Amino acid sequence: MSMFDYDARPVTPGVVLVGTTASRGAYAIRDFLSRNGYPFEWVDAGQADAVRTVLGVAELEPSALPLCILPDGSRLAAATVEQVAEGLGMVAAPARSEYDLTIVGAGPAGLAAAVNAASEGLRTVVVEAVAPGGQAGTTSMIENLLGFPDGISGSELATRAVVQARRFGAEVLLARPLAGVSADGPGYVAELSDGTLVRGRAVLFASGVEWRRLEVPGVDDLLGAGVYYGAGPSEALACTGSRVAVVGGGNSAGQAVVRFSRYARQVTLLVRGRDLGASMSQYLIDQLSGIPNVDVRVRTQVVGVEADDRLRALVVRSGDGAEPGRLPADALFICIGGNPRTDGVAGIGLATNLAGYLVTGSDPGGSWPLPREPLPLETNRPGVFAAGDVRCGSVKRCAAAIGEGSMAVALIHQRLAEAGDD
Amino acid sequence: MTEPPAVASPDAAAPSEFDELASGEQIATAATALERNGIRPLIAATGADARGLVRSLLADGAEVYNNTSQTLEAIGVADDIERSGRYQPLRLRLYRMDREMQRREMRTLAASPGYVVGSVHALTEGGSLLIASATGSQLGPVASGAGQVILVIGAQKIVPDVATGMRRIYEYCYPLEDARARRAYGVPSGVNNILIINKAVTPGRVTAIIVNERLGF
Repeated sequence: MSMFDYDARPVTPGVVLVGTTASRGAYAIRDFLSRNGYPFEWVDAGQADAVRTVLGVAELEPSALPLCILPDGSRLAAATVEQVAEGLGMVAAPARSEYDLTIVGAGPAGLAAAVNAASEGLRTVVVEAVAPGGQAGTTSMIENLLGFPDGISGSELATRAVVQARRFGAEVLLARPLAGVSADGPGYVAELSDGTLVRGRAVLFASGVEWRRLEVPGVDDLLGAGVYYGAGPSEALACTGSRVAVVGGGNSAGQAVVRFSRYARQVTLLVRGRDLGASMSQYLIDQLSGIPNVDVRVRTQVVGVEADDRLRALVVRSGDGAEPGRLPADALFICIGGNPRTDGVAGIGLATNLAGYLVTGSDPGGSWPLPREPLPLETNRPGVFAAGDVRCGSVKRCAAAIGEGSMAVALIHQRLAEAGDD
Repeated sequence: MTEPPAVASPDAAAPSEFDELASGEQIATAATALERNGIRPLIAATGADARGLVRSLLADGAEVYNNTSQTLEAIGVADDIERSGRYQPLRLRLYRMDREMQRREMRTLAASPGYVVGSVHALTEGGSLLIASATGSQLGPVASGAGQVILVIGAQKIVPDVATGMRRIYEYCYPLEDARARRAYGVPSGVNNILIINKAVTPGRVTAIIVNERLGF
């Protein structure tokens, strides 16, 4: 046995990814691997020595990038997330022809529902587009979740929840987004992006939200080259010694700032509102005020970016009518609000509010076919429920999502009893 | 205690007495002694057989920490644990944690796995197991933190007694390990902690698989 268990890193080979920092495709793969906890080595295609070390040649055709070397040595040129997931054996077929409950999304709400449903004997499947954990999965430390006095990271919470759900018999299908849902007798059939069909007697949308885009010219061109949505775990180390800006006023933004302050030289939190109290938990506000390399700027917006091959600075405007100023920044993390992830719901005509969140409960806002009223958390389609951040009126907190996901299962039992064979 | 050499040369000629496979008689003696000491002995003819035994001992879905081990890598056990999907590999879980923010979670997880799978630096004919460690992180779970302990031991590691086992660690294992650490991590190793298991109190907790092949160092 070796005497030195250096940093507990995996012993076996991981994935090697060769690409350019400015490549969106490479960033998507990096983010996917990182969020799924898959070890990988990033090789900048511009570094000839590093490329030669892993590939034996100094240069690669741009069309071959991003190039992914899998643990078995096989190579994927112009790799996509889907190909990498398939190559790593992460794509599994559903084990059953029909389930009692199909859960869309493996964030806190979806996984709480999966644990509760499977533990109560429901044949349960979770479909997840990217990785377990949802938005909370990228949170470095949740400190106000009941039962975790020292806090717990979002990814660790998700890991434990997946283990727990699987222990009760739930299936978790990863790496394929939902393409659509359609009616299937009294139940529903969900189609995944690769054509896989998942039949369920009931459906729970726990698909959460995605980060809202920052509508500033040039920002999207720098995605992966200094601009990131969310605060993915893969980027924290890369921020060592650098100048980081975070945009947002919620807990996710606050948690990101706390994390980056451990690595970065300077972290600046840019908040559009007048103060943080309206959107951020007090414990985080207190933490931020005590970190010397953190600067919080309220009533401040990003209005422009300066870049060459990657981000170099932000142009920010503070207060009404003030002249824009330059804020040097090596990385910008955008953690603002969120847009509901409702891809695929159009096929069954789910009602949403103006912002796109799924409407549930006694006033579903659309046609309702049954003599009874919709159950709490039930959408305007009988047997289709919503929980967590994607639901109109939800509280955007991890604990609340867990509560809704758990509560939904009791309501789903009622619906299945109504539909028969519960 | 004897200090290790100040500089360990990766090219240092290893004393051959520590590289010789034990005889069948020595293996049987060590196995009998292990059993007497509360450690379940299993004997495998080959590394492949040992790999199969480890698979049969690990429950599906178990939380497993595989110690860094040339032995486990050589016979494919590390790959089974980290890549097969049959288990919860703690190393992958630790890998994705933020070393600044989650140090406590990491320490807790690594300290008390359901199973720890590793090797030793010496097994005596009297049934004692000797493990050296630079950081000591691998020793706590083996001594008491892990629910189950599985140790895979190449038969060249069998020595007559504890004193010879200590000599094996300092004179043979340490130079090779130091060279490995410098190559792999760019840092030196060190015989900073040594665990000697003379007896296991909890019945069935520790299993030692002796492999009749030269594995690891």
